[in-house]
Amino acid sequence: MNWLLTLLLSIAVLGVAMTCVAYLTWLERKIAARMQNRIGPFWVGYPHGWLQPLADVAKLIIKEDITPKNADRVLFNLAPVMMVVPSLIGFAFIPFAAGLAVVDHPYSFLLFLAFASLALLGVFAAGWSSNNKYALISSLRMVAMAVSYEIPLLLSLLVPAVLVGSFRLTEIVEAQQGMPFILYPGIGQVAFVVFFIAMLAELNKAPFDLVEAESELVAAYNVEYTGMKFALFYAGEYAHTFAVCGLAATVFLGGYNGPAFLPGAVWLLLKMVGIFVLILWIRWSFMRVRIDQALMINWKILFPIALLNLVAAAWWVVRSGGAG
Amino acid sequence: MGTTMRNFFRRSITVQYPKVQRPLPRQWRGGTFALTFDPNTREENCIGCRLCEYICPSQIISVKLRKGEKRENGVGATYAEQFTLDYQACMQCELCVQVCPTDAIVMTRYLADCPSSREGLFLGKEKLEQQGLKLLEQPDLESHATGKRLREWTAATRGLPQEEEPKPAKPEGEGKGK
Amino acid sequence: MTEEIRVVDRELGELALNMGPQHPSTHGVLHLKVHLRGETVVKAIPGIGYLHRGVEKLSENLAYEQLAPIFERNDYLGPTANSLGYVVAVERLGGFEVPRRGAWLRTLVAELQRIASHLVWLGTLGLDLGGALGGGTTLYMYCFREREKILDYMEELTGTRFHTNFNLIGGARYDITPELAAKAVDLANQMEACLGEMRNMTSATAMFRGRVEGIGVIPRDLALSVGVTGPVLRASGVKFDVRKDAPYDAYPDLQFDIPTRTEGDALARFEVRMDEIAESAKLVRQLVEGLPDGPIFTRKPIKNPKGLKVKPNEVYAAVESPRGELGFYIVADGTFKPYRLKINAPSFCNLQVIPHIAPGLLLADVIATLGSLDPVLGDVDR
Repeated sequence: MNWLLTLLLSIAVLGVAMTCVAYLTWLERKIAARMQNRIGPFWVGYPHGWLQPLADVAKLIIKEDITPKNADRVLFNLAPVMMVVPSLIGFAFIPFAAGLAVVDHPYSFLLFLAFASLALLGVFAAGWSSNNKYALISSLRMVAMAVSYEIPLLLSLLVPAVLVGSFRLTEIVEAQQGMPFILYPGIGQVAFVVFFIAMLAELNKAPFDLVEAESELVAAYNVEYTGMKFALFYAGEYAHTFAVCGLAATVFLGGYNGPAFLPGAVWLLLKMVGIFVLILWIRWSFMRVRIDQALMINWKILFPIALLNLVAAAWWVVRSGGAG
Repeated sequence: MGTTMRNFFRRSITVQYPKVQRPLPRQWRGGTFALTFDPNTREENCIGCRLCEYICPSQIISVKLRKGEKRENGVGATYAEQFTLDYQACMQCELCVQVCPTDAIVMTRYLADCPSSREGLFLGKEKLEQQGLKLLEQPDLESHATGKRLREWTAATRGLPQEEEPKPAKPEGEGKGK
Repeated sequence: MTEEIRVVDRELGELALNMGPQHPSTHGVLHLKVHLRGETVVKAIPGIGYLHRGVEKLSENLAYEQLAPIFERNDYLGPTANSLGYVVAVERLGGFEVPRRGAWLRTLVAELQRIASHLVWLGTLGLDLGGALGGGTTLYMYCFREREKILDYMEELTGTRFHTNFNLIGGARYDITPELAAKAVDLANQMEACLGEMRNMTSATAMFRGRVEGIGVIPRDLALSVGVTGPVLRASGVKFDVRKDAPYDAYPDLQFDIPTRTEGDALARFEVRMDEIAESAKLVRQLVEGLPDGPIFTRKPIKNPKGLKVKPNEVYAAVESPRGELGFYIVADGTFKPYRLKINAPSFCNLQVIPHIAPGLLLADVIATLGSLDPVLGDVDR
């Protein structure tokens, strides 16, 4: 009855993930507000607006659904789906207890990254099919950034894989029972920093949010989307972020490992939310970079560092004769 | 980034407005208008001289004069038969308050009640007098900047050594709002 | 003019983009028509007139006494400077004298409003560069938090926060008590102290510097020939400030510097305005300390606006608004209404430099340049 177990597990994981994503929007608004000396959502579900995500969803559902006249209909309607579904699939690969993940595949790590890239394709499709110059410019930027930043992302993520010797996420987590990979001297920290910056660029979070630069391109790729499709983009962005946070927590911070007074899944959630808060903090503090500066950072700074880091990790594995 | 983290822990500056009212300054211009009455004799102050009508830059006031009986307080024998103020276009410049010779038109320190149609913003004489009667009961709801006080502050002899009046005094006794 | 135009590929066509009147970053309803090749701007033409309210024509139908509050709505971010310009012009036209205390009070309010206007500029620059969902909003909130203190002070002094109608032809309107004067000094100190936090969020970060350094360079000759004014001119190396070169009100008696830079890029304009906030704080302290006694208004109390007749004459008077030199040219014909009133708006002059410096910039740089020029469309369109 393996498929039944997988089905139940996937429903459970999806439920937890979507609730988390909804309340992550609330958390973002609260933290952003506190950083700006404000209060954030307060009255919606008194106190402190904990019903705000429900109010947002309700508002977005009842809005009118507009499709621009000359838009590419098929792609226009498909783009939000293309963005949300691969993000949610990412949650399937993250192990949340010893040896337990919805899909435990020998190459689960690479599959996660493959699906994450599919989500970016959804963003590009949205920009292209909107028949709008702003959306077009944004999707051009998106393609340039996504293609460029994939490389340091992969190179930095390969470091733990090389250190462990496998691409299976459950094995990577098990290998961190002693020490999470971020604490590995030199190699771990550099890999985490490179991964973090590349992740910010892939997720289009500030300072790399030039794809959806609201002050220049007025909500860029989703400028023509309304109602439920916009809600899908909005939720999909948060789901994508959360899933990649999950990957970061799994690969660099030790996944479900932690002192025994809390179950492993809770530790995993705490780590994921912790990385999410770090992303928020950076997002609400910095201005954005320009596209040519972003590409310059990638090719001239991140790529060589990631490559050298990988070589150093490989050298270390050879020297110490196996995974640590 | 350190700045945002420091501000994260500071108190929020939001004032939860309808639940928490802030004290309004003494000469607030944000309220509505009122045609005042003399507190001793309860006669209307407006003599229908139309100075406010002539000076309003938005030209929203219209007054019609009528002659009547002499007032007890000796102000004059003319009254305003009609007085309309179109509050939609008012830009709260207080020029009308400044020129009024009898302090008849003043601004109030409470907000106008929100009408549900545009006609509600055409303040007619009854509405203005109604607000003036409210000021008789609660005189500190009147803005401190009345015509006489504005002319007093801008008097050409104010603050010069030959005057004994304390300079640059506002009437003491009331602290400034806030 | 920029010699090198970073055109990526000549086979690519040009994309004509309307950064239309409705845009979060055009500082009002500015219609900027840009032609793009890839991301590089080839041509940029500003289109204005969406906020034209016919103020100059209106002023032919209203009396001199009635006009002062109308001009505050021109440049709605520095209102006192606008009505001050008008009032100074009419005073020169009619030969009215302003008592010293009135002049000093007017200058005090004008300098406080200059700080408030520069804070708005800084906040919206953050929004332009950082975006509505990012670091820019944080900077915006901090600037407006500081600005609220100034606006609350104006409310205590005059009754409204913003368009205070403080200037009368011949003096000021409200007087200041010792507590309010002490509060003004306190406010000036707070404004100067908050500059450190603003700098932390902007010029101390590499991202901000990367966005504004070397962007939108206006060379000195171009600045002089096109006719930009204000901080834009001072950032290009020309040391011209109406407060020093053609002083009015209390400025002849005050000590202050004029910040100037020579690079002429957006970072230079940023630095000039930040320094101007510090200078204005210094000015506020000097003004409060040295406030002379006496009346604040010398004419008879205003009765009928038809009473102020001015002999046939014409005058041009300029003041320094936060955006630059704001000039009023009034022609009087002996009645109580002006015959012709022309406003020389600083934002209008500053906007004219955009077609000259935009080619060669990336799209994001156009936004940064526009933000650093600080146009206010009410001023441009009148």
